[in-house]
Amino acid sequence: MKNLKSSLVIILAFFLIVTFCFPAWGAKTIKIGVIGPMQFVQGKGHWNGAVMAAEEINAKGGVKVGDKRMKIELVKADSNEFLSMTDATNAMELLMARHKVDFVVGGFRSEAVFAMQDIAMDYKKIFIGTGASHSKLCLRVAEDYDRYKYWFRGTPFNEKFLGKTAFIQLATVGAILKKSLNIPKVKVAVVAEKAMWVEGMIAAAKGFLPKMGMEVVGVWQPSQAATDVTAELSAIQRAEPHVIFTIFSASVGISFAKQAGELKIPAVLTGINVEAQKDGFWEATQGKGNYVTTMNTYARGVETNEFTKPFVDRYIKRFGEVPPYTADTYSAIVYTLVPAIEMTGTLDADRLVKVMEVREFKTPGGKVSYLKDKQGRPLHELKWGPGYLTSLGVQWQDGKLVGVWPNKWVAAKGAPEVTYKGIVPFKIPPWMIEKYK
Amino acid sequence: MILDIIITSLINGSTYALLAIGFSLIFGVARIVNIAHTAFFMVASYCIYMITRKLGYHPIVGMLVAIPLITLLGLICYKLFIDPIREHEAAVLISTIALAIAFQEIMLLIFTGDYLSVPALIQGYFTVFGAKVFYQQLITFIAALVILGALRLLLMKTKLGLAIRSTAQDREVANLMGMNESRVAMITMGISVALAGFTGAVVVPLTTVNPFMWLHPLIMMMAVVVLGGLGSIKGSFFAAYILGFAEAAVVFLIPMGAFLKGSVALSVMILVLLIRPEGLFGVAFEEER
Amino acid sequence: MDLIRYYIRQLFNIIKTEVFILPSRMIVLLFFITILGLPLITNDPYLLRILILASIFAIFAASWDLLSGFTGQMNFGHALFFGVGAYSAAMLNQHVHIPPWGSIPLGALGAVLAGLIVGIPCLRLRGTYLALTTLAFPIILMGIVFAIPHITGGELGISGLDRLARSRVVNYYIAVLVMLVLCTIMWKITDSNIGIIFHAIREDEVAVRASGINTTRYKLLAFCLSGFFAGMAGGLYAHFMRIADPSTLEVSMSFQVVIWSVFGGVVTIWGPVGAVFVLFPLLEFFRFWPEFRMLLFAIVILLILLFMPQGLLPWIRDKIESECPRCKIRNVATRKNCRICDTSMH
Repeated sequence: MKNLKSSLVIILAFFLIVTFCFPAWGAKTIKIGVIGPMQFVQGKGHWNGAVMAAEEINAKGGVKVGDKRMKIELVKADSNEFLSMTDATNAMELLMARHKVDFVVGGFRSEAVFAMQDIAMDYKKIFIGTGASHSKLCLRVAEDYDRYKYWFRGTPFNEKFLGKTAFIQLATVGAILKKSLNIPKVKVAVVAEKAMWVEGMIAAAKGFLPKMGMEVVGVWQPSQAATDVTAELSAIQRAEPHVIFTIFSASVGISFAKQAGELKIPAVLTGINVEAQKDGFWEATQGKGNYVTTMNTYARGVETNEFTKPFVDRYIKRFGEVPPYTADTYSAIVYTLVPAIEMTGTLDADRLVKVMEVREFKTPGGKVSYLKDKQGRPLHELKWGPGYLTSLGVQWQDGKLVGVWPNKWVAAKGAPEVTYKGIVPFKIPPWMIEKYK
Repeated sequence: MILDIIITSLINGSTYALLAIGFSLIFGVARIVNIAHTAFFMVASYCIYMITRKLGYHPIVGMLVAIPLITLLGLICYKLFIDPIREHEAAVLISTIALAIAFQEIMLLIFTGDYLSVPALIQGYFTVFGAKVFYQQLITFIAALVILGALRLLLMKTKLGLAIRSTAQDREVANLMGMNESRVAMITMGISVALAGFTGAVVVPLTTVNPFMWLHPLIMMMAVVVLGGLGSIKGSFFAAYILGFAEAAVVFLIPMGAFLKGSVALSVMILVLLIRPEGLFGVAFEEER
Repeated sequence: MDLIRYYIRQLFNIIKTEVFILPSRMIVLLFFITILGLPLITNDPYLLRILILASIFAIFAASWDLLSGFTGQMNFGHALFFGVGAYSAAMLNQHVHIPPWGSIPLGALGAVLAGLIVGIPCLRLRGTYLALTTLAFPIILMGIVFAIPHITGGELGISGLDRLARSRVVNYYIAVLVMLVLCTIMWKITDSNIGIIFHAIREDEVAVRASGINTTRYKLLAFCLSGFFAGMAGGLYAHFMRIADPSTLEVSMSFQVVIWSVFGGVVTIWGPVGAVFVLFPLLEFFRFWPEFRMLLFAIVILLILLFMPQGLLPWIRDKIESECPRCKIRNVATRKNCRICDTSMH
């Protein structure tokens, strides 16, 4: 027993010494760090997309840098950003100081990405964000260009555009309801989780919806991890809305959809529900999440442009599920970084930034172009609009997640109709048709 | 509206009551603050998930299998990790925290962080006074009352209950009187963990199952136990419904502040403690040597 | 010249007679020297980052021990002080533009205020009631933080704070020096009259009251002192990470500090400090097995507590030193006779 205790102490001491002395190995490859919450679906998407990209490029022989070819080496870093901010910053520092990566892609939670962005900018390495949507991340580029110019947004577009798209989808659904069920004025209940990015959207909803001819019957804000929302649902039911506009990014999206479905609330659930984008949503709600509509970037069978289908199909074949939007690490590497490197023939971050910020190119999600602010300063922010990035509206129909928007969408007066290939018509829940017919 | 609040508070309160009673029991008898109580609840939920979803049996089978399994697990953990260091209360506390974290990580490894769910015992809902209530919620409410009744019977009418009560009052004298105090503690641990497992079985169809689901109920459960008075089962029962009522009131009266329901419930607890430091029905413990 | 030589000779004398006698004091001296001299050997920013964070959390853990270890008032919501310190420093820095060397102490004063607010209701509570009540405070504050996002930044926190210094090495020295100074102050407090009263309050509060000492004042003093040091740690954290966010108020942060302190040995100040410097790099080391990281951490804690329930560092200390049965002075374990009273040690 005594020996056991002593050996425990010696083992601990050994661990401590090894931690401090672990050397970093160097190699003649392009090192790309992939940072994200690897224990969770979002991080897995980061890694999977990057792996697919690296394999594809390396299979072609690598990246042409000047007159030599270099292979891509990925470095996985678990930021654990859902649970610990210190872990996230430590992970980024590890990538920079120990592994000495040349580029970083990833990041998910906006608050963690702020801190991680600072570290990457300290080391002057290009960081393509594939998950955080907060606009301030790009405002920093305009305000302090020399420091933050290495940051580019890879996905999604910022929360202002997210809100805009959500409202457009809401308007489309409202119009469908009006037409098929003869509802004179559509009533909307806004249910949003308590979070910063939501505040702006709630205020916008209260302002926009009356202008669109709809009435806001109430705003409810359960907490992000709420598992029992029957109280909110009872209150919402009494207000008798036709549409429930959801703004969820966390697990409350599942609980809400499940309980709303079980109670057969006669309203359409549309808006943003990140959990509903995942294949596991059907299981998690046990099928009660039928007819839930949400925004998404990819869907089976929907082709935004000619690159979408090969990417989505290959991803599904390899990993068994539809790519989440965080898998846009694939686009970040294959379409953003590598062509820029091949064009300039160098890995030097400053020269690459100059080339990257003026490029316009197609990715499986749409066409990427970077915005400038009103004073003409570069924001490295993604452009939104028909022909560029619009994302999709998807709906769960009997166990399948299908694309329902853009479907004959007219973006502005006189603009052409936009419908992507593979979009199917929107379905209204039968219990709602029953009530209103 | 008032009716909605009352119905919601009854249902939420039942969940908290079920959890709090188990926690209160083990604390009263063995002075063990078992932070891992809700972690056992989580493991029970995963057990039921495994049996009903992966193996395809009916939820009742899941419940009947999970509860003994969890009890066994609880007893093993108690024997291995807690019993040897029972004298050092601080160390016991940390051990239970570490145990809870260990369970969380093991579940994360086996099932990953995805959200899962378990089918209800009786699907569907019914309407009472205009509010829609799930059958499963009714089951939870009835279960809480049944368990309380059964526990009361056990404690008041049986010899084991007598042993438990006397150990809770004074450990050393109970030992002197011939009751094997450590065996009583172990049995109480078993009952407590079985209660956690039963709660998991009954409550889990209403929530989503994921490895981090033990944190929020832990806070509320501790608030309930403190409010009701440590060591008092009756106190935990009533405090559960009071806090459930506070939460429901917040959700209905301040829809935009629904996320504040945890904070409001905790503030209620603190206010009551300011007035009555032992909690509502608590027994002020003598200074123990 | 002669005066300086005299003082140097005195210093060496003291070191020879006071420090070299006991292995535990030598370890402390070694620790001081290593931690101050490390940047001269290595320049690895990752390593320095780990040690900076460890120093900040060491102040945090030691402040918990000052409150809960010494006065026995188990505080499960210590993250409250940390968060209040972080947020106050952040708000002062962001809105009033006070530089870090001002905003951190002022933020710590905010944490002292929080200590009073928490301490007063807790005067009437004992034991587990106290522990569970203190647990509630950071959660309530977190709800408030979410409720007024335009001041507190909601779940994004307040970002874009000034850094402590330009270079990583200077940051490191600031953090380490502050840690050494604050921990020495805390240790000196426990070694003084106030410390004796704290010990006494933990052992038997009624007796202390019967001796005529106003325990209320001392209990509140403990809360305030503890709050001050934890607030300093919080402010340092906010300025180092350049962001102050709700994760500083989380339950897991409160639990972490309790784990560190109990692991390292309560009722000492050096116990939690040592434990943080052992456990925090260990957690980072476990990065090699990302899925098993927390699990290994939990298992290490379970095993160590099973075999050494008093804490790791007191157990080590007991192995290398023992107490003389007659004069109660500590001696090296290998000695046969006590160095002061010359009685046999066994």
